[in-house]
Amino acid sequence: MSDILIWALLFVSVSILVVSVLVLKVIKIYIQQSLHPSRLATAEEKEQYRLEQEGLQMEKPEKSSIWTKLLGLKPLSEEKELVMEHEFDGIAELDNPTPAWFMVLFYGTIFFAIAYMVNYHVIGWGKSQEQEYAAELQQAEDEHIAYLQKPGAGTANKINESNVAQSTDKAVLQAGGALFKTACSPCHGEHAEGAVGPNLTDDYWLHGGKVKEIFKTIKYGVPEKGMIAWEKQLKPKQISDIASYILSLKGSNPAGAKAPQGKKEE
Amino acid sequence: MTEKFYYDNKIVRNFAIATIAWGIIGMTVGLLIAMQLFKPALNMGSQYTTFGRIRPLHTNAVIFAFVGNAIFMGVYYSLQRLLKARMFSDVLSKIHFWGWQLIIISAVITLPLGLTSSHEYAELEWPIDIAITLIWVVFGVNMFGTIIKRREKHMYVAIWFYIATFVTVAVLHIVNSFELPVSAFKSYYLYAGVQDALVQWWYGHNAVAFFLTTPYLGMMYYFLPKMAQRPIYSYKLSILHFWSLIFIYIWAGPHHLLYTSLPGWAQSLGVAFSVMLIAPSWGGMINGLLTLRGAWDKVREDATLKFMVVGITAYGMATFEGPMLALKQINAIAHYTDWIVAHVHVGALGWNGFLTFGILYWLIPRIYRTSLYSKKLASFHFWIGTLGIIFYAVPLYFAGFTQGLMWKEFTEEGMLRYPNFLETVLQILPMYVLRAIGGGLYLIGVIVMTYNLIKTVGTGKLLANEPAEAPALPENYQPQGSDKKLHRMLERKPMVFLVLSLVVILIGGMVEMMPTFTIKSNIPTISSVKPYTPLELQGRDLYIKEGCVSCHSQMIRPFRSETERYGEYSKAGEFVYDHPHLWGSKRTGPDLQREGGKYGNAWHFNHMMDPQTMSPGSIMPPYEWLVTQSLDTSTTRSKINAMRTLGVPYEAGYENRANRDLDAQARAIADDLQKNNIKVKSDKEIIALIAYLQRLGTDIKAK
Repeated sequence: MSDILIWALLFVSVSILVVSVLVLKVIKIYIQQSLHPSRLATAEEKEQYRLEQEGLQMEKPEKSSIWTKLLGLKPLSEEKELVMEHEFDGIAELDNPTPAWFMVLFYGTIFFAIAYMVNYHVIGWGKSQEQEYAAELQQAEDEHIAYLQKPGAGTANKINESNVAQSTDKAVLQAGGALFKTACSPCHGEHAEGAVGPNLTDDYWLHGGKVKEIFKTIKYGVPEKGMIAWEKQLKPKQISDIASYILSLKGSNPAGAKAPQGKKEE
Repeated sequence: MTEKFYYDNKIVRNFAIATIAWGIIGMTVGLLIAMQLFKPALNMGSQYTTFGRIRPLHTNAVIFAFVGNAIFMGVYYSLQRLLKARMFSDVLSKIHFWGWQLIIISAVITLPLGLTSSHEYAELEWPIDIAITLIWVVFGVNMFGTIIKRREKHMYVAIWFYIATFVTVAVLHIVNSFELPVSAFKSYYLYAGVQDALVQWWYGHNAVAFFLTTPYLGMMYYFLPKMAQRPIYSYKLSILHFWSLIFIYIWAGPHHLLYTSLPGWAQSLGVAFSVMLIAPSWGGMINGLLTLRGAWDKVREDATLKFMVVGITAYGMATFEGPMLALKQINAIAHYTDWIVAHVHVGALGWNGFLTFGILYWLIPRIYRTSLYSKKLASFHFWIGTLGIIFYAVPLYFAGFTQGLMWKEFTEEGMLRYPNFLETVLQILPMYVLRAIGGGLYLIGVIVMTYNLIKTVGTGKLLANEPAEAPALPENYQPQGSDKKLHRMLERKPMVFLVLSLVVILIGGMVEMMPTFTIKSNIPTISSVKPYTPLELQGRDLYIKEGCVSCHSQMIRPFRSETERYGEYSKAGEFVYDHPHLWGSKRTGPDLQREGGKYGNAWHFNHMMDPQTMSPGSIMPPYEWLVTQSLDTSTTRSKINAMRTLGVPYEAGYENRANRDLDAQARAIADDLQKNNIKVKSDKEIIALIAYLQRLGTDIKAK
């Protein structure tokens, strides 16, 4: 994961570097031109310059640039010698050799492919996906243990169905209410009046109406009745907030309340 | 002695018209489904225009109608000229043209009706599959007939690519289409689960290779030097990259199945060969770009060449990105996200689209003996098209990267940071809007091109039969000079060439498929996995019909982030009764493999009737018709029989009792819904679909 990010960052930095160099050049030229603007040449001067350059060209033998060398290209002037005798509907073919860098790339990838197979399936240094998975779980486990040992960490996560307590704190109820709205209202209604799921504001409960029982119902769900287990989506603190909020709704008599279900509890 | 003959330009013109017409249709449907992703109401409340059913319409229309017709246009134009011969038979040309259009029309009718075999890019049902085979043979006979009666001794590189295209597409299509018909428009694939997935992606990836790539390389080798009036850069490179490309490509399919329950060795072969593909693919690119050496001043002037250059560059980018995406570490993030959608569209919009436009702009004025109506409009098309590709791809790369990382992120406490899948979708909706704008710009460009070409045609007259002359081939040919070389010898022998390319492409497929099919240990059996009940089987077919697989995968990868979100990762043995596999390739919604028992029946009912009530902000369209349409139980018997033929162990005579079991299970679900104040008759389609969803993954769920 982080490897990829590093590569991506590296790539971005190289790109930024290239762009910076270009921008620097432009700024340089701009400064130079604004400080010492070069005079616009007349047609005569241009012609003279062109002739001079041509003269220089004649003296120098044709030299290929670094770029063409790198790409393994032959100068265009030698092209005539490379044309093959065949033509297809007027299309000629040149007999250029395959560029060296291309062959390096080709053999390089073949080498990579062989090494890849050997690594994963002959000597077994590379992990199989099942081994990778096991390692990933182990690492998560280790990190979790380390996290719990940090001072102050995890008190909120130590809440469970045996130690949860109802709260009437305003902030808690507000937080619980907000969570209820997104997680619970599709099934239990906007005001917990009951829809697909039961009414949560009356005295009747299907799976117990004590805070510990409500906490447990939310955490593990009741799959056979369509109540989802929330333990993977909500933190223990969030579940306890919702439980407290639900209990605070008792007797609120919302409009369109669903008929009581389950056992009456005080 | 010189012989006089005529090139058939009329068939080229016809394919050109079909290319443009289907291009506009396919891209318009694409724009519609792109908009449905952020505005589900654009499914227009109809089952026939809902994403799941018309997404395959878009892919099929663009691949086989737009690109397909463009291929035939390019081949019929260049083949005649490269061989100095008219097409073998005008009648076959006509059958080919009209047959292909009829196949496309049948796709346009059947896919919205929900008649699909669910294999991505091969969704058409078995009667159409047979028609495709027949028309493809017609094309092959016509092509080889022309090659046989040629007036050019040697076959130019473009023709090598055409031959490889013909033979490989034939093999791919036939092997991927082994189906057992159940009725006139319903069949089950012979393969199940892992094997089916392997066959499908062997086909799917090579459809990219041999339908979207090799014929276009062939076309590039003809049209680019013609347009630039420059010689091909390197004959040696042509030989090297042609043979290595067709040999290596065929192995790469399993990179679509990394981290799935496909055996590890097959996955690794897919990765290794994908990496080796870089050079052969780039061989085509550099041979094209270097052909333009000394002609770059023309590129500046000529919109036609600009299209070609950007097209070839897009090809180079996509074929570099492909091997990168095939690396496991990158694939782990990119797979199932929009990154892949962006990747294929760089290829489709850039390479296939732009090359097609370049060729159209060059070819239409030529066969109409006139010049292009407006160079300005062509230039406008080029720029708006390029802008369209950028607006399409960049937001989707961003969306894919974002979502892939969000799926994997954990909090310090060790819980998923975004446990609700929907949250990751809502995050990328603005990117979907931008992408649709990009698609819209691209489409505008195509419409401008259409106007420009219609105007061009108006100023000229079609030269239906173009006169040409060339000497007949000498009876006794004495090779001179470089014609004595080995490959030149091969270029004189089309049938040998055909057989050789067939052998080359068969090797990879055989090595990967045979062991997966024959060695039992590749698919460890799980005794608790049982066949589907009749109601679940019917529900599964509805799931296929509605195209749910377009948005939901059924393949949980062995990652902590996935097992935490969905449950135990998928095992090969779970899919032994899945004809076809439904692993999916893109997650627009969450994976469904462990969906069974997670939610109540009522939740599923409400979720399908109005997804927004159960999941506020959901982009799934409502499936109201499932409540009103009754389940067709008359097919149960033949479906059970077909499944038994395929090796699913239903006991003898079960087909007679199947509907009784189906009714009982359906009533139980309807009763349960009733308890939750939902009144629905037990014979409705939705009951079957719920039954299937509630079954998913339950066979191996830990108690």
